Amino acid sequence: MTDFTPDTRPVIARLTGCSKRYPGVIALSDADFELRAGEVRALLGKNGAGKSTMIRLLTGAETPDTGLVTIGDTPLRDAGSGRAAEAFGLGVRVVYQELSLVMDLSIAENLFLGRWPRQGGVIRHKVMYAEAQAALARLGVTLSPALPVSALSPAERQLVEIARVLIGSPKLVILDEPTSSLAEAEANKVLAAVRRIAAEGIAVIYVSHRMNEIRQIADSVTVMRDGRIIETVPASGADTREIVRLMLGAHMEEQARIQPGHPGAVVLEVQNIALAPKLADISFTLRAGEVLGIAGLLGSGRTELLQAIMGIARPQSGEIRVDGQPVTGASYRAMLRRGFGFTPESRKEAGIVPMLGVDENTVVTDFAAVSLRGRLLSRILSAPRIAAATRRVIDRLQIKTARTDTPIGTLSGGNQQKVVIGRWVHAGSRVLLLDEPTRGVDVEAKAQIYRIIRELAAENCAVIFVSSEVEELPLVCDRVLVLRDRRIAEEMTAPNIDQDRLLAACLTAA
Amino acid sequence: MSAQAAPTRRAGLAGHMNELSLLAGIFVLYAVFAATADGFMTFHNQINILRDAATIGIAAWAATLIIIAGEIDVSTGPMVAFVSVILAYFLQWGVPTLPAFALALLLGGALGGIAGALRAFCDVPSFVATLGLWSALRGIALYLTDALPVSIGRNPVVDALDRSFLGVPPSAILMLLLFAVFLFISRKTAFGRSVYAVGGNPQAAFLSGINVARVRVMVFVIGGVMAALSGILLLSRLGSGNATAASGLEFDVIAAVVVGGTALSGGRGSMVGTLLGVLVITLIGNGLILLGINPFIQQVVRGLIIVGAVLANIQAIKRARARQA
Repeated sequence: MTDFTPDTRPVIARLTGCSKRYPGVIALSDADFELRAGEVRALLGKNGAGKSTMIRLLTGAETPDTGLVTIGDTPLRDAGSGRAAEAFGLGVRVVYQELSLVMDLSIAENLFLGRWPRQGGVIRHKVMYAEAQAALARLGVTLSPALPVSALSPAERQLVEIARVLIGSPKLVILDEPTSSLAEAEANKVLAAVRRIAAEGIAVIYVSHRMNEIRQIADSVTVMRDGRIIETVPASGADTREIVRLMLGAHMEEQARIQPGHPGAVVLEVQNIALAPKLADISFTLRAGEVLGIAGLLGSGRTELLQAIMGIARPQSGEIRVDGQPVTGASYRAMLRRGFGFTPESRKEAGIVPMLGVDENTVVTDFAAVSLRGRLLSRILSAPRIAAATRRVIDRLQIKTARTDTPIGTLSGGNQQKVVIGRWVHAGSRVLLLDEPTRGVDVEAKAQIYRIIRELAAENCAVIFVSSEVEELPLVCDRVLVLRDRRIAEEMTAPNIDQDRLLAACLTAA
Repeated sequence: MSAQAAPTRRAGLAGHMNELSLLAGIFVLYAVFAATADGFMTFHNQINILRDAATIGIAAWAATLIIIAGEIDVSTGPMVAFVSVILAYFLQWGVPTLPAFALALLLGGALGGIAGALRAFCDVPSFVATLGLWSALRGIALYLTDALPVSIGRNPVVDALDRSFLGVPPSAILMLLLFAVFLFISRKTAFGRSVYAVGGNPQAAFLSGINVARVRVMVFVIGGVMAALSGILLLSRLGSGNATAASGLEFDVIAAVVVGGTALSGGRGSMVGTLLGVLVITLIGNGLILLGINPFIQQVVRGLIIVGAVLANIQAIKRARARQA
């Protein structure tokens, strides 16, 4: 602990020697953590560093294998499903990333969702509105409680979400990346609300990677890595490079680092693209045979950039050229016809058709290639050609599946992802836009995906590789662009792609 | 090729649970009606069953595609009646028979296309779009005809359509031929597989390059054409266009598809299942009439049997899956 003046505020939450392991992983190892009333603590760490596990211990969603979780003066005792209710009763509240509001109900109805003040089954609207107004006022919000949530801006919705956890008497409020989907001006409203909560004496855990915000509102920063609490430093003096060092630790120089290649002709030019509120004035080029990484924090506009290129989102200004020809405003299908391929961030929602087989999930991008020959028959599928084409993709991408027609929903995440990439190999795409292709994928599949991407590049494919894991970008990319504050903040070229510098560039201006 | 329709098929016998339990149900229905209903097993009655099956079946093949695509069409009955009325007027005006048939099919396709376009391009839920057609088409047909049959006089082509061939009515033959066509479309064509993909995950289908809007419009166009075909057969059977005919047909069609194991949520289903579903619905209707049960009570029994069949089917599939796991 680096508290220099003795802190007399009471301790609200304490972890003592807490460990938690899941099959194959130590999620949290011997963690000691202490948080006082009115304190705002930022929690930093990469994916898998142990932040979520620690939060789940505090909320009672998980029971530690060893160690003690204490809220106020009371240790959590229940080891089962009652534990969460116990923690809730002691005043622990969480606001998660995904908003959980019902869009067409009013602010007040959302604040009291399921616990509406009522008399004989009839909701007492006057009471509800008055209490809602009071809850909003605590955050400095002056919205009418009768407004439907659908009429609010993203920041206002986030504030409603926070106001909801303030009802009752919370002692500890945990905010999980509350500003990740907000533009900077909007985010300030949320920061102001956090200050007010802390001023009431409520302890706040603030998970975020935006260093500017952390310096503004947090007292201190706890950095986690590999399931351990590495260090807690005062937020005001926290140096980004120091934070990065704590987050990444000492790491071996990667042997397999990409050497500068000899990319071919320019296939894609993006000029001054703007897509409010996420992107402004983005320009870059992509060459055949090149793997271009896009780094940036959650909500930095990575997905939006890919969508703008693919014609899924319409940029307000700027120009996109393919092979030197302007294609600005082209439809998604027109981009596919030009040889582009796109894999979405969320495999389940937008990647796979779970009930269909691996074969059909593969050949869906080009039915013509697996149809009977002859003009009249070209819309009729050929079972042997489907099997052969699927087999080629399965072998090439090392997809583990019992049969070519096994329903894709039964495969592991990594194998599903390989099929989703493989369908563009089947289609013969020459420009691939991969949005977080390694998310939720095991280590072995990750390595295979890196290898596939490099092989495709060697065959003159151009690849854009979006990733939120800075460790993997140097392993795959010839060049990396860092998105921050709506712009390309930094560009790095192999072999000088360095994860420390990448992470620092993602977090804050150097 | 995967999926011969139901993905569960790969699980071997358990994958055929749906079809097997339907077959068992059909045997039970046959046994019960053969034992209790006079004249059920006669050749004449079996032909009647086939003819009735055609009325539901032809529309049900198209409805299967629509429901697999994640949509619904409730406009079938009024569409059939409307087309039969318009076709009768065409023939009264002296339009040659075959061109008149072609116009009728075109009209059906266009009406289905309207519903499909509302769904695909304006995001009107297909239930609402076809509900609008359901009301409007019945209304126009009744208004034009004052609810009276529109006679077409003697017409050798139309009469031929109702003349049995080797004892089998042409409508039944047409139904079976179309079954083969739809089975082929659903399993072997890029369009058919796209229907499954769109119903299973429209976003993934779109991102894979499938023209989702076109698939949605096409299934409704096909639905309209099949309804028009049923309208032509109705005209040949009754000898007149009838604004009040085919009342409630859409519910028999949807019931047949659902009893056949196709999921209303889309992405899952099979033509073979629908064929068996059509048989179940037709057998129930035919048997209850022969038993001389009060027509109002018939409706009650039918409702119970439909829900019971789907419930039993769901349970059977669940048990089969649990045994596998």
